[in-house]
Amino acid sequence: MDGGDVDGGVGGGGGIEKDEEAEERTELLRDRFRLSVISIANAEAKKLDMEASEPVVACVADLAFKYTEQLARDVELFAQHAGRKSVNMEDIILSAHRNKHLTGLLRSFSQELKGKGPQTERKRKKSSKKEDKAIPS
Amino acid sequence: MEEETFDPELICSIFKLVWSRRATERNESIEVVDVEVGDRTKKNRQTTANSNALKLSCELIRIFVTEAVQRSGMIAEAEGINKIEPTHLERVLPQLLLDF
Repeated sequence: MDGGDVDGGVGGGGGIEKDEEAEERTELLRDRFRLSVISIANAEAKKLDMEASEPVVACVADLAFKYTEQLARDVELFAQHAGRKSVNMEDIILSAHRNKHLTGLLRSFSQELKGKGPQTERKRKKSSKKEDKAIPS
Repeated sequence: MEEETFDPELICSIFKLVWSRRATERNESIEVVDVEVGDRTKKNRQTTANSNALKLSCELIRIFVTEAVQRSGMIAEAEGINKIEPTHLERVLPQLLLDF
């Protein structure tokens, strides 16, 4: 690979090579991501006694990857808006604000992550059923 | 039942990639990055995420995937088929994208 070591080296320019490297990294991550999606999607289909066809899983993987990239952009903006450099759980929860049910799920999950420790000042507004799956069956 | 989920490290790497891409875009339009400090200048330190936020993101993306499969599965089931095909996913896609 010509251009040598791009990381932390020359600032500003060196545009094209940096882009190519970023693209390669993206492809690598996309592949790893796809593998995870394949296993999650197939496990989920199995739970439904069904099988997910290949194109469906590939499509879901692509969608989920794009969603992840969008999520990254969103939470970065939220953190910056709050004057922070570090994204925290509230930023993630905020990204789901359009879907009340999803917000509730995330909030309960976040409570679990915080541990059995002290309840934060944010009381759980929605009744959070921890085992609740999103689909009304 | 063991829940399959994403590796927080993987999600972290993806986030970082997106953030550094954005930082580069910003730097090119605002100012040249300070050579000594690389991409960690005082003004333009890269965004990071705390570990709980990463785990929560893994959960969020996992829910996205399971929702897509579950909703498509419901359509397939309604048709009496037990294999989820692209047409089933197509049906649920608009609402799925609106919900997330």
